Amino acid sequence: MKPGYPGGGAVQLEVNIASKVYTNAAGKRQEALAGFNFKLNEGEVGVFVGPSGCGKSTMLRIVVGLDPDYQGRVSRPAGAKIGMVFQEPRLLPWRSVEENVRLVAPHVDEATLSVLFGTLGLEAHRSHFPGELSLGLARRVALARAFAVEPDFLILDEPLASLDDALAARLRGQIATLVDSRTVTTLLVTHNVDDAVHLGDRLFFLSQRPSHVIAELPIGTPRTKRGPAEIQRIKTDIARLTLANL
Amino acid sequence: MLRLLSFTAFLAIWWGASLLAGGEKLPAPPIVLSAVVAEARSGALFFHLGVTLARVALAFILAMTLGSALGYLMGRVRLADRLGDPWLILLLHLPALVVIVLAYIWAGLTEVAAIAAIAINKLPTAVVTLREGTRTLDATLDEMVAVFAIPRWKAFRHVILPQLAPYLAAAARSGLSLVWKIVLVAELLGRPNGVGFEIGVAFQLFDIPLLLAYSLTFAALVLIIETALVQPIEARLSRWRRRAA
Repeated sequence: MKPGYPGGGAVQLEVNIASKVYTNAAGKRQEALAGFNFKLNEGEVGVFVGPSGCGKSTMLRIVVGLDPDYQGRVSRPAGAKIGMVFQEPRLLPWRSVEENVRLVAPHVDEATLSVLFGTLGLEAHRSHFPGELSLGLARRVALARAFAVEPDFLILDEPLASLDDALAARLRGQIATLVDSRTVTTLLVTHNVDDAVHLGDRLFFLSQRPSHVIAELPIGTPRTKRGPAEIQRIKTDIARLTLANL
Repeated sequence: MLRLLSFTAFLAIWWGASLLAGGEKLPAPPIVLSAVVAEARSGALFFHLGVTLARVALAFILAMTLGSALGYLMGRVRLADRLGDPWLILLLHLPALVVIVLAYIWAGLTEVAAIAAIAINKLPTAVVTLREGTRTLDATLDEMVAVFAIPRWKAFRHVILPQLAPYLAAAARSGLSLVWKIVLVAELLGRPNGVGFEIGVAFQLFDIPLLLAYSLTFAALVLIIETALVQPIEARLSRWRRRAA
């Protein structure tokens, strides 16, 4: 179990994006993010819930450093290791499942890898190429890859999108297991409230474009102790919050 | 099996044509074969084939290495592309003969001039192919590399190179056939040995069996290298594609 949870650690990530402006193909300038501010403590899972196209992925790209073209400031510890699951699995089709994972994590030992593949149900697929996998399996490989680097930050960009409900629920459980297996500050982006209430320590609700955080909801109950009643209670809180902010 | 059939058909057509045209202009297969055997016995055949092969290998490696590097640079860096493009167009359309003659004039009738001339002829096609390949590189994989902080060389080997493999193969393929064709011209014009030189001699003596003996053994050599070397490499590089569901 993870120590110092939730919100016990020091502030690990502080994001203040004053503005992010796009110029689209037609040459028109569009503001994607405006006054997008939040903080996450060490080991917390921050879940960002917002409508499609509200700029969630844009925010993630700025946080991980892929997009330097914005106004504002992102502070995270220097040299922090990042593990990321993109919206699409982004695996190398010419490398096997195991090679894909080992490429980003050359120092991972066999035992860690075994546990990881076991948790995600990938043992049988180690030597398969990504082209031979279903989307659900490829997503799990992307998760295995992100965890194999033993990240300080885990970034999950809609990791459960376009999976059927049963599969999404199972994968959600696997993500919860992995997140609780070590101290990792996590950013999860989703438009699904179920993902948020099952996985998050701190929920952020986002506005339409230009996007910013309109409401923040810390959840005190640990993930593993959230029964159906507790889940329902959180959902009621969310409904009240989002209504009040509309 | 099909290949054998195809080869037999080739021999049959040759023999038939020889009967129709007369042995003067087109000697029958046995006569050419005896010329091949005679040249092989004296060792001249292997010497000239070997010399030509060495020139092909050197020019090919030189042009592929330089061409791939330049093509990659031009595909990645816009400034390099704009600076290099006019040169590229010039080189692409410059006749092989012009390059060869100029090389011999400027650098003398030397080995360096011959190999450089052959390489320069092949260079622009390699550059163009690799530039196109580099332009198709998947930007989302570049982002993956950046986020996971994969070291540069490792990323090049495991992420970039496999994406360029089909383009490298295409450049090698078309480049090899180009080099095979040009090397003989370069030898004919300015070298004292090699298959091209021997063909020139045969032409001057009007020795058609000798001419065919060298041409056909050369063609056979190309065929062997193609099936024994180029095709297996291609198959290995695209192995992940074939297994894909």
